[in-house]
Amino acid sequence: MRKLSAVLCLVLLCSAAPAAAETMLMATTTSTEATGLLDVLMPQFAKDTGIEVKWTAVGTGKALKMGENCDVDVLMVHAPAAEKKFVEDGFGTGRTEFMYNDFVIVGPKADPAKAKGGDTAKALAAIASAKAPFISRGDDSGTHKAEQGLWKAANMPLPDKESWYVSAGQGMMETLVMAGERSGYALTDRGTYISYEAKAGANPALVILVEGDKVLLNQYSVIPVNPAKCSKTKKDLADKLAAWVASQKGQQAIAGFTLEGKQLFFPNAK
Amino acid sequence: MDFLFQGVRQAIALLLALDPATFSAVRVTLEATFLAVAGAIALGVPAGFLLGYIDFPGRRLLRLLVETLLAFPTVVIGLLVYAFLTRNGPLGDLGLLFTVSGMAIGLTILGLPIITAMTAMALESLDPDVRRTILTLGAGRVRAALACLSEVRHSVALAVVTAFGRIATEVGIAMMIGGNIKWHTRTMTTAIALETSKGEFAQGIALGVILLSLAFVVNVCVTALRRQGAAG
Amino acid sequence: MSTAQDVPVYSLRDVRHHYNGRAVLAVDALEVPRGIILGLCGSNGAGKSTLLRFLAFLERPRQGGIVFAGTPALDLASLRRRATLLLQRPVLLRRSVFENVAFGLRARKETADLSRKVSEALEAVGLPFAAFARRSWRELSGGEAQRVAMAARLVLRPEVLLLDEPTSSLDPESEERITAAARLARDRHGATVVVVSHDLAWLRGLCDTVLRLAAPLPSGQAAPLTEPPLSEDCA
Repeated sequence: MRKLSAVLCLVLLCSAAPAAAETMLMATTTSTEATGLLDVLMPQFAKDTGIEVKWTAVGTGKALKMGENCDVDVLMVHAPAAEKKFVEDGFGTGRTEFMYNDFVIVGPKADPAKAKGGDTAKALAAIASAKAPFISRGDDSGTHKAEQGLWKAANMPLPDKESWYVSAGQGMMETLVMAGERSGYALTDRGTYISYEAKAGANPALVILVEGDKVLLNQYSVIPVNPAKCSKTKKDLADKLAAWVASQKGQQAIAGFTLEGKQLFFPNAK
Repeated sequence: MDFLFQGVRQAIALLLALDPATFSAVRVTLEATFLAVAGAIALGVPAGFLLGYIDFPGRRLLRLLVETLLAFPTVVIGLLVYAFLTRNGPLGDLGLLFTVSGMAIGLTILGLPIITAMTAMALESLDPDVRRTILTLGAGRVRAALACLSEVRHSVALAVVTAFGRIATEVGIAMMIGGNIKWHTRTMTTAIALETSKGEFAQGIALGVILLSLAFVVNVCVTALRRQGAAG
Repeated sequence: MSTAQDVPVYSLRDVRHHYNGRAVLAVDALEVPRGIILGLCGSNGAGKSTLLRFLAFLERPRQGGIVFAGTPALDLASLRRRATLLLQRPVLLRRSVFENVAFGLRARKETADLSRKVSEALEAVGLPFAAFARRSWRELSGGEAQRVAMAARLVLRPEVLLLDEPTSSLDPESEERITAAARLARDRHGATVVVVSHDLAWLRGLCDTVLRLAAPLPSGQAAPLTEPPLSEDCA
C-alpha cells in the first residue's frame, strides 16, 4: 500500500502542470474546442496574464452542471436562457457576452422538403409537413437547446415523438454525418459545417439551406462560478478571463480566427 | 474508405515528427494505465486470492458478484467516481477530478473485477495435488499461500494483460473523470473521440494505430516475461 | 517402562471416512511400529490414497482418531513437518529442480549447507547435481520428475516417509531409484516408511510387512486388515 501511494505521488508530480504559475479550470462547449478557437485564444491569454486555462469540452448542459458542482472555476457557454437561470440561482456571478457565431440549417442538395430560404420558421414547418428526416443533437448541448427554442419560436410542438425526428444523442460532427447518410436535415453551428464541408470534398451530401436569420445567431458568454456557492473557486482568475475576452486584444484575436479561410466567431462585447 | 489508408500514413507521420500533442496523449495514457493496473493488481490479486483459495461462507455469492461486475458499463463507473470526486462530493477536497490520478481511480475500478475474477478462477482450478505437495513439504500458511499464487503466476500475468488492454482502450471513464484536457488528461482514446467529433477521421485512425501498437508492444513484453518466468 | 522406540509411530482407532455419503475408508485398528517399512496393498477404491493423506496430516478423517508418536494428532500444521507424502503423479512446482528440492528446507528456514543437502538428495535418486539442478520443471521426463519429487522428500530427513503408488507409471530405472531411495531413508536415516501399491510383488521386495487394505463393507463396517494371499493380486 505504501508503494502504491508512493507511485501515486510520483505520478501526481509528473502530471503537474508544466509552466504557468496559476491555473484554472474551464468547462466549455464542444464548438469552441473542436473548431480550434481555444487553441488560439488561450495561449494569448496565458501570455498576457500568466494564467493557464485547462478546459474540458462538454455539452452546455453538462458544463452548467459542472459549474453547479464546483468542478470548474469558469464557464464559456452559449445557451442564454439556461445561463440566466444559472446566474439567478446564484451559481454564477454574472454573464459577460463577448462573441457570437451563427447556426445554419443544412439538408440534402435536392431539398425534397423545400426548406431553402431565409426564414427559419418556414423552413422548419416545411420539414415537418414533408416528414423529412430531421437529425437532432438530442444531447442537451447548447445547439440542442437552440434547436428546441427554434421549434418553439416557429409555434410548433417539439416533434420528438415523430418518426422522422431523430434524436442522435451525439456530437455535432457525428450528427452531421448521420444527416448526410440519411439524407436528412439538421441544425448546426457554422464552424462544424465548414469542417464537414472541407472533409467531404467536391460534392458534400449536405448544403446550407437557411442562414442569416436573426434567430440563428448564437451568443457566447463567460460566467465565473460564484464563490458564495463554491468557496474554493478562483473568482479573481475567472474575472480576468471575462475581462480579457471582452478587451480589445481578446476581441481582435476572436475576429482574426479563421477555419478553412472563413471567419467563424464575431466579437460583440459591449 | 480513404481515411483508413490516410490514417495509417498519418500515424507514421505523427510518430516520425515526434508530434508533441500525440506524445502527450501517449504519456497520459501510459501514466493512467500503469497507475490503474498497479492499483488493480494491489487490490485484485489479494481479493482474487481470498475468493479462490480460502473457503468462507458467502464466497460463492461474492464470486458471482465479481463476475457480474465484469459487465459494469464504463460510463456508470465514470458517473459513480465522478459523484465522489466532484468538488462538492465526499472526496472533493482531494482535488482529483480532471487529474490523471482521478482517472486512474476510475480505471482501477474497471480493472479490479478482471484481475480478481481471473486470479480467483486460476486458484480454484489449481491442481489439488500441487497444494498437497506444497503442504506436505512443510510450508506454513503464508508460504503455502505465496507458493500457490506463484504456481498460477502465468494466469495472473494474463489477467494483468487483459486488464491493461481494457484500461488502455477505455474512453467513458477517461472522458468523464479526466475531462479530455489537452496536455493534462487527454488520453489516446479521448483524443480519438475528439478527432472524430471534429470530423478528422484520419487523425482518429492514426491515433488508433498508435494505441494498437502500444498494446502490441506491451503484449510482446509480457509474453517475453512469461517465457522467462516459466523457465526459471 | 517403554522407550520412544517402543511407541508406535501411528496408532489408528476406528477411523471412518465418507465422501458425499459414500464410505471410502474404514480401519478399526492399525499400529505402525517405528523404523518399519510397511506395505499396504489394496484394490482401487479401498481408500489407500485417502489413508495416506490422513497419515500425512493433509486431511482429517470424519471419525476416529490418529495418535502420532504417543500423542493425539491435533495440530496438523506442525505435524506435517514430521511426515511427508510422495504423491502418485509426479507433481513439481513451477520452478527449477534445485528450488523444488530446496522448497521444504526453505520452509523450515534450514538454509545452512543448502547446496550440499540438495546435491546429496539428487545424487541419492541418481540425478547428477551439475546436470539437473538448474533445469526447469518442464525439462524433465515423468520418471525424472518423480525422482526430483522423491529427492525433495529425502532432503527433509523425514521421520515418516509416505509413498502413494510411487512407481505406478515409471520407467524401470526410475522405479529402481525410487525403491532404493525409500530403503535408504529407512536404513541410513531411520525413517518409518509406509508404501501403498497394488503391485504385490514389488511391495514384498521392499517391505518388512505387507497388509491388505479392503474397501469398507456395504454396511460401512471395516473389513479386517490381513496378510494378503500369496497370489500376485491384491484384490
